[in-house]
This record gives sequence, C-alpha cells and structure tokens, in this order.
Amino acid sequence: MQLERIVATNFRKFRDPMVIEGLGSGLNVVIEPNETGKSTLLEALRAGLFVRHGTKNQLAQSFMPFGENVAPEVEIEFQIDGERWRVAKKFLKSPALEVHGPKGRTSGDAAEEKLQALLGFERSTSRDADLDSYGALGLLWVGQGDALSIKAPGEIVRNSVRSTLEAEVGSIMGGATHDAVRAAVDKQFADYWTPGGAIGGRQKSARDAAQKTRDAAYQAASELAALELSFTELADKQARMKVLKRELADERDAQARADLMKSLETAQAAALMLGQRKAERSAAQADADALGEFAERHKNAVKAKTEAAGALADANAERANVEAEVADAKKKEESAKHALSSARDARAAARSALGDARLLATAASQHSAIADAKSRHERLVELESELAEAKKIEASGVDPQTLKSLESLQRDVATASAELSAGSTTIELVGEASHITVDGNEFGDGARTIVEESRIGIGGGAELIVKPPRGTASAQARLDDLNARLKSELSQLGVASVSEARNRVDAARDAKASTAALDARIEAITPAVPAIELGTGADALRKFVASIADSDTVAPDTIPDLAALEKRFEDAEEGLATADGTYQAALEALRKAEEKDRPLATAETSARSTLASAEQQIAKIEADPRFANLDAELLAARKEAAGADVAWQKAQENAGSLDPDAIERQIEKIDKRAESARTQATELQLEIARLEATIETEGGKGLAEAAAKAEEEAEAAQRSLDRVSEEAATVKLLRDTLEDARLETSRTYVGPIARRAKRHIERLLPGCDLSFTEDLQLQSITRAGTEEGCTHLSRGTQEQLAVLTRLAFADMLLEKGRPVSLILDDPLAYSDDARLDLMSDILAEAAERMQVILLTCRERAFRHLGGTHIAIG
Amino acid sequence: MFRFIHTADWQLGKPYAWAEPEVRSALTDARFDAIDTIGKLANEHSATHVLVAGDVFDTEGPDPRTIVQALSRMERHACHWWLLPGNHDFVRAGGLWDRIEARLPGNVYLISEAQPSELEGGMWLLPAPLVHRHQDDDPTEKFDTMKTPGAKLRIGLAHGSIVDFGAQGETKNQIAPDRAARSGLDYLALGDWHGSLQVNARTWYSGTPEVDRFQRDEPGKALLVELKQSAEPVVTELRTGKYQWLKRDWRVDDAAGFEAQRAQLLDECNPAETLVRLTLSGITTLTDRVAMLRSLEDELAHRFRYFAFSATDLVAKPSDDDLAAFAAEGILGTAASTLNARIQEDGPESLIARRALERLFVEHAKAIGS
Repeated sequence: MQLERIVATNFRKFRDPMVIEGLGSGLNVVIEPNETGKSTLLEALRAGLFVRHGTKNQLAQSFMPFGENVAPEVEIEFQIDGERWRVAKKFLKSPALEVHGPKGRTSGDAAEEKLQALLGFERSTSRDADLDSYGALGLLWVGQGDALSIKAPGEIVRNSVRSTLEAEVGSIMGGATHDAVRAAVDKQFADYWTPGGAIGGRQKSARDAAQKTRDAAYQAASELAALELSFTELADKQARMKVLKRELADERDAQARADLMKSLETAQAAALMLGQRKAERSAAQADADALGEFAERHKNAVKAKTEAAGALADANAERANVEAEVADAKKKEESAKHALSSARDARAAARSALGDARLLATAASQHSAIADAKSRHERLVELESELAEAKKIEASGVDPQTLKSLESLQRDVATASAELSAGSTTIELVGEASHITVDGNEFGDGARTIVEESRIGIGGGAELIVKPPRGTASAQARLDDLNARLKSELSQLGVASVSEARNRVDAARDAKASTAALDARIEAITPAVPAIELGTGADALRKFVASIADSDTVAPDTIPDLAALEKRFEDAEEGLATADGTYQAALEALRKAEEKDRPLATAETSARSTLASAEQQIAKIEADPRFANLDAELLAARKEAAGADVAWQKAQENAGSLDPDAIERQIEKIDKRAESARTQATELQLEIARLEATIETEGGKGLAEAAAKAEEEAEAAQRSLDRVSEEAATVKLLRDTLEDARLETSRTYVGPIARRAKRHIERLLPGCDLSFTEDLQLQSITRAGTEEGCTHLSRGTQEQLAVLTRLAFADMLLEKGRPVSLILDDPLAYSDDARLDLMSDILAEAAERMQVILLTCRERAFRHLGGTHIAIG
Repeated sequence: MFRFIHTADWQLGKPYAWAEPEVRSALTDARFDAIDTIGKLANEHSATHVLVAGDVFDTEGPDPRTIVQALSRMERHACHWWLLPGNHDFVRAGGLWDRIEARLPGNVYLISEAQPSELEGGMWLLPAPLVHRHQDDDPTEKFDTMKTPGAKLRIGLAHGSIVDFGAQGETKNQIAPDRAARSGLDYLALGDWHGSLQVNARTWYSGTPEVDRFQRDEPGKALLVELKQSAEPVVTELRTGKYQWLKRDWRVDDAAGFEAQRAQLLDECNPAETLVRLTLSGITTLTDRVAMLRSLEDELAHRFRYFAFSATDLVAKPSDDDLAAFAAEGILGTAASTLNARIQEDGPESLIARRALERLFVEHAKAIGS
C-alpha cells in the first residue's frame, strides 16, 4: 500500500485544507516542528479510512475544530497493488463517503464495506478510536507514544498473521467455521453457566425449579399426611367409642353393685353388735378386776404387817448383842491410849539425853581436828621452805641451749688452741740463764710458745729474734677472741667454767623434779576438813591456823557413852511404835463394833414404820363396806366377765365374714369405672367431633390429588434438572475442550513468529531469544541465558522492540499480500545515537519492501536519512 | 336380554404432571371426555345402566373441580351410573364419598355398602365396595351370602386383582378367579386392570376407558355386556379412548434402518392423538446419529401429541470420515480428537464427552451450512 496524498479540511486544528502530497513508495520523512499538526495528520488518516462517515459519536465530534460548527472532511489517495484509490469522507454535517477505485465509484455504506474489505478492518462498535478494529493498519500506523510499550496485536492482525503462517506450521486456527462454532458454543455455555463458570442461567432455573417443586411436594405430602392422620385417628376413636358404649350399656356392674349394697347393710348391723358386746365385755372385766385388786390389797397389807413385826423383833435382838461388843471395844481403846502416852514420854527423855551426848562428842572431835591441823601446818612450813630452796636452784640453772653454745665455744677454743700450737714455735730454755729475756721479760722456766716475733735477749745486747710462721699471730688472736667470748659468756652466767655450767644444768633439773615432789606432799597434807570448816589447800590451812584462838583448843572433860544412849533412844522409839499400833487396832475394833449397830438401827426404824403403815392400811380396808362380803362378790364379778367375753367372741365371729370397708371399696371401684367410662365417652365424643370437623374442612380440598400432582411435578423437575445438568456439563466440556485446543493451536504459531521477529531484533540485541505469549505479544527476551520480561527493559529498548515487532508483523502481513504501510509518529524518542542509527538503517531497509512514513519534529535525528522529505502544507 | 355397559378405572384427576402443561390438560380433559363417550355409547346401544368397577377417582381426595366435572358429565346422560369405590377411592367415614353423596345427581348411584340392589325387575347387582385401600380378604366373598329374592340375573361388581393374576397386578384385594361360578353370578364386572381382559366366560376386566400410561398400545375401551338367563354373556369391546400410548424400542444401526422405523410408526397411528415414548439403541456413525437425533427433535417430536425419547443406548462411533471432516478445521479438529480420546476412557466422563463431541458435530454442521 502506498499513501500518496492526504488532505484534511475543517479537521481539528486545520480549518484550511492541510495537504500532504508526493508521498513515495519507500521511505518518507515528514519533519515538522511541534504543534504543526503531524499527529493530527495521523488522526485524519485513521478518520478517513476507518471511522464511519455516518457516526456522530464522541470521536467524530472531536474531529470538529474547536468552537466551530463545520463539517470535517478528509480526502486520501493511495495505491494498492498498482491500483489507484481515492477516498473522500465528510463527517457530521451532510456526512458522505465516496470511494473511487479501479472499478468505479461507490458511496455511503457500500463504500464503507468496500474499504473494510480492501483494508481488512472491521466496523468499530466503540465510541472511541479502537485501534484493534482497524486491523493491520491500526497496528502499523503508530501514533505518538503508542509505541512506548509492547502490546499484543489485535485479533484481526493475529488472524492475518496466523493465516500467513498456516502453511508453515501445518496448523489451522479454524477461521470462520471455528469462530461460528465457538460463538455458538459460548452462547450455549452462557445459557447454563455464569461467565465465571458458576451455575447460572437455565441450569440455575432448573435447580431452583427442582427445589421449589420438591418443597411444594413435601408441603402437599405433609398436608395430606395430616389429613390421613385425622382419618386414622377418627377410625381409632370411633372404635374406642364403640367399645365404651358397649361397656356403659353393660348391666353386670349395676347388678353387682346392688348385691354389694345389700351385703353392706348386713355387715354394718353385725359391726354395730360387735361394738356393743365389746363394751359390755370391757365393763364386766373392769368390775371383776377392781374387786380382785381390792382383795389383793388387803392380803398384801396383812402380809406386810406380819413381816414388819418380825423384822423389828430381829433388829432389837441383834442390837443388844452389838452394844456389848461396843462397850468392850471402848474399854480396850482407853487402855491402849494410856499406854501410848507413856511410850511417848519415854521416847522424849531418851531423845533429849542422846542429843546432849552428841553435842559433847562433836566438840571433842573438833578439838582433835584443830590439833591435827596445827601439826600439819608446822609440817607445811617446813615443806614450803624446802620448796623455795629447790625453786631457787631451778631458777639459777643454765638453759640447755646456752650450754650447747658454751660447749661449742669451748670446742672452738680447743680447736683454735690446737691450730695455734701446731703453727707456733716452742722454745725451751734448758739451763739457768736468767739474763735471757723474751721481749724484755725473763725467760722463765719451761718451754715457751712463740706466736709472734719475739726478741730473745741473750744478753749483751744481743737479741735473738724468733719469727714464728706467718698466721700464728692471727691464730693467737682468734684464740684470744674465743677465750674472751667464752669468758664473757661464762661470767654472764655467773659460772667459772663450762663444766660448772653443765653442773648447774643438772642441778636445776634435779631441783625441778624435787619441786614437783614437794608440791605433791604439800597437797597431801592440806586436805579439807569439813568438821572444822577447813578448806583444801595450803592457804586455807594457813588462814585457819591463824584464825584459831587458844581457847578453842581446850578439850572437853568427859565424853558420855553415845552408843548406850542411842540404844536407849531406839528402844524408846520401838516402844512408842508398839503402843501406837495397839491403840490403832483398838480404835478400829471400836469403829467396827459401832458400824455393825448402824444398819440394825436403820432396820429397826424401817420395820417400825412399815408396821405402822400396814396397820393403817388394814384398818382402812376393813372399814370399807365391800370388805364384809368380799369373797362372794369377787366370785360373782368374775362369772359376769366370763359371760361377756363369750358374747363378744360370738359377735366377732358374726362380723368377721362381712367387712363393710372392703365392700365399700368394691362399690367405689364399680362407681369409678362407670364414671371413667362416661368421662372417656365425653372426651372421645369431643375428639371425634373435632376430627370430623377437620376432615370436613380439609377433606374437600383435594389434598390427595394435589399431593400426587406435586409429587409428579417434583419428579419431572428433577428429571429436567438432571437433563439440564447433563447438558450443562456437555456444553462446559465442549467449551473447555475448544478453549484448550485454541490455546494449543495458538502456541504452535509462536515459534515461527519469534523466528521472524528475531531477524530484526537480533540486529539490536545480538544473540537474543524471544518469547511470545499465545496472543502474540512479545513477553520476554533472553540474553546470555538470562530472561528479562519486556516490561522490565529500559524505555528506549521497549520502544525499539515495539517498532521492530510491528515491523515483523508488517512483513508477515506483506507475505499474506495485505496492504501494508508503516507510519511512525515521532518515534525513537528515547534512543541513544547508536541505536537511532541502527533503527534508521532497519527502517530504511524496510522501506525497500513497504512504504514507511516517519513523522518527526527532530530534524537533526533523521536529516541524514534518504527517501522523500516532505513538509506539511 | 339385559344390556349394560361395564367400565372401570376412570382415574379422574390423574395429574400427568410429568408432561408439559398443554399435554397435561389435554390428557386430563380426555379422561372427563371419556365419561361423555361412555354415556353416548350407552345411549347408542340402548344400555340403561353403566357399572363402574372402581377407581372412579385417582385419589381419595380429588380436587373439587375433578368432582364437579365427573358428576356434571354423568348427569348429562340418561343412563344410570353405578359407582363402586375402588382402592384409589375407597369408602371411609368422612371421606370422599360421604362428601359427594349429598351432591349426587339423580341418575348416579353410589355403592358405599356391600348390599345387593335390584337394577330392574329380577336384575340384581351384587357389589363389593372397598372400604380400605388394601384389604387382605377377598371382598367378593360376601356375594355367597347375599340375598337376591326373585333374581333372574345376578351381576357381580368388584375391584381388585384375581388371585395369581400376574406379577404386575395388585397383590391386595385379591378376588377368587372362580368367583362367578362360586357365587352363582351371571357376570362378574371387574376393575383394577387397566387393559380389557377376559378372565373366563363370565368374568371380565373392562380396562380403563382412557389409557393413562405407557403399558399397552391399545386405546381405552368399555364393554357392552348382553346377558340372558342360562346363557353365556355376549361381550363387545367399544373404543372409548381418545389417545393412543405407544412405547417403542428401536434398534437402529444406520440412517436407513431409522427411516424404516420412522415410516412404520407414522403409518400405524394418528400422530396428533398419540403419545410416544421411544428408546433408541444400536451403534452408528456420529454423522448418522446426529442426523437421527435432528430428525427426532426437529421433525418427529412435533408431529405427536407427546414425544419423548432416550438415545443413551444409541452409541455413536465417530468414523474416520467424521474425524477427517474436522481435521481441516484446525482447532475444531484438535477439540474433536481430544473428545474422542476421552470417550475411549470409560467412566461417567465418557458419556459427557460423547455428547460434547456430538454437539461439536452439530454445531460444525450448522456453521458449514450457514
């Protein structure tokens, strides 16, 4: 397809005709600044070819210049396959369309259809511009900004593309037949299902109808069942009524009741008689009993009197015996009391004598103890003096450690001395030579030890100088020092020699031992003597001796025989005890004798009282008039009672066979039965009337027929539902299967489309792989193994891909022989220079196959491109 | 000679709710019309009495309209109608017949008790009305003891099945097969069996005057009975039924077989007054099956008063030709083979898939045709 000339009049901003002419078959670049109407040009093209001339919709309204009421007009001239076409369209006011083609002129709707067939688009039903309905040119005429995102091509383009590829992929989308079948199936689906696949339409109606009729059938059946229940109940009640009536009519109970009434009368008479006899018997018995008791009382009183008299006599006799016994006991008691008193006196005397004697004995023993203490004190003084001595010796003793050091020092002296003598020179003068001096001093006898240079004057002024070996002098000095130290230490200790010191050590050790022995002896002679209040220890003894006066030491004259006195006291004690025991025994004997008398006295008193009472009673009884003929009267009363008893027993026998209570209960039972039957009959009658009324009302309503009808309707509705459900399932399965098949088929086209698009896109993104969705939208590209969704690509890349995929579709449509031209309005706004060049090259190449029109405001960007450069005029 | 009409099982008020409303009302009206037909036949054949052997009404609680229709139709004819309660409309206290009794026209007699009636001089009717829906004893036993002084003819009227009458009959209310002989009846008019049937020389079922279900092809009848003393009754069947109910099972394997059956069916009846229940079975191609069903649905069904069919057992196997026709259609071909594969898998889905494939064929054919 090659657009050649476009004229827009009264269209949008072009009040005056806007003319574009001289569009060539290849690349055309329309470079114009902003606001000059490039985009309006594209609008005018679309309006002229795709928007129905007769429409007055919003879109058509928008064609009118703002604020003016004129008719927008568009005129377009183009070639397809070498044939020339001219389209003139006028909107809104006297709308018109004329199409001049190779076969002449058409106008109006026929011209619209001609254009649709020629350019492969559909009548749009949208109020706005519907690019999808414009077919291939809707995709390829890209408005400003339309190419910024990658979109799926519309159905018309997809179908064209697919039909292009059908031979290649060996798959068929189905075309018109498929569309018709699918539309029919979709329509049927909509009859049974909601768009979301839920139960709807006829299926829902059938389900609701089934439910409704089921409810109605249930309702009708319930009503009928209620009526039938009334019939059943009525029959049942009537049957019971029949039985009741028979019962009520039965004479047997009435007869039985009359018989029972008769029995009741008899029984009541007998019961009356029995009561009377019983009273008579009780009265006679009471009389006899009273008399018998009267006689018994008299008899008892006489008996009591006799017994009391006997008891009194017995008590008196007994008491006489006991009194003698008491007197004897009293005498014995007094004598024992006397003896006891004497024994007490004797014991007192003995005790007094013993006490005195003991005082004397104590004084004597104290005296002796004091004397003893004195003598021990003397000994103590001796021992303490010895102890002080020993302690002194112990104190003057040398410490063994000191002794050791002394001994060591002595050994050192000995060693030093030995060393000196070993190194020293000994000179000995033999003979008499008094003039010989040593260091000025007379030589003396014996040998001399020279330890230092010594001048031995040998007279005549001559001196013999003896020089002992060197060191002898120091040895001498050391020995001297040691000796000095030893001496000093010994003097410090107050001893002359080491051996004396050793002796001192031994003496101190001995003194220490004797100190311990003396301490023990002192302790032994200073025991405590409680008799003289003397404590333990030396101090106590010293104090005691110091405290005593000489008078204390006087001894008593005589000391009585204590043992004899004690013996006397013991004897007196014993005598007292014996006397006391005797007295106690006598006292007890007296008490016992007196005890024996007490009950006897009581018995005597009691017997006396009983006797008096009995006598009184007898007197009273015998004064009673009944006493005169008591025996005869008693006999008569007893006879009377026996007779009454017999009469009572007989009456009892008579009454026993007829219990009026039992008879009354029987009568009551019969009465109750009759009453209950009557009540039941009344109730039943009421029930029957109610049921009859119900049946009368309900029975005429035709419930059975209605129920049968409702049941059949419910069954029919259910069958219908089953059919509809099956039909719905069928349609659903068919639709789902068709949809699956469509998707599956769609997928087979994706590969070839991707391959074709890749030819272009690979120049932009070398080595990429493309992935398309089933509706032929470029979905993602894969570069170096990484897949990127198209929406995540940079805006520039997205725009470039959008142009390139369009180019790919245009190529495919071209293959199909469709009229194709590519218009890009202000494209590649986001492309960098390198990409812009590349895209320019691709577009220039494409222009060799199809007409390409670039509308741009960026003169510099596209100035270098060849082709036809056109200005809007 | 004594002439009367023997009929039974009117089943008035039968709902037919399974049918669409216009069929339903036609069938309902036909049952009332049958009363008029019987009345006219009685007049034509000079029969004074019409004995209805039970089940006058379909239920014991019919709609008031049903009752009024029944009584007013009977009233229009001069003959005497003797109505015997059957198991569907049995007698009970406060029940159907108690309510109707006061409204009975002068020529309609209700037999609510088992008491003999003298129809005319010496012509005695011995009835056995049912007092329960199901009676365990033989309701006609009382005939033995019924007094019919001066009887020239004794006619029994009862409702129930004959003992061992057949598996399909009611098992209750059973009547001794030799009841006529045992009770000295000249004729025993029975009801309950909906087809007319001779049990023995003196015992007949009249059948229903208007057929009410797909059980037998014959239209409804009433019996004209002519009795003479010491002679066997002469019984003539009279057609009373308007509609014919046909139940058909066709085994068809191809279009030709189907066409033959179709032609025969149209030939043997008056379609406008015929109800058909058809079951198709066989194995055929998908194309044939679709054609047959289209013929049934679009043409045959509309000819009849009522037409129902089941083609579940008519199994369509899509032939290679069938499938080839689709193969050129791309998506449709894919869908067809998918469904065909699913049909091969047994199970409930298979049946749906079969129907779906069939539907696809139908829609495809429509699309091609348009």
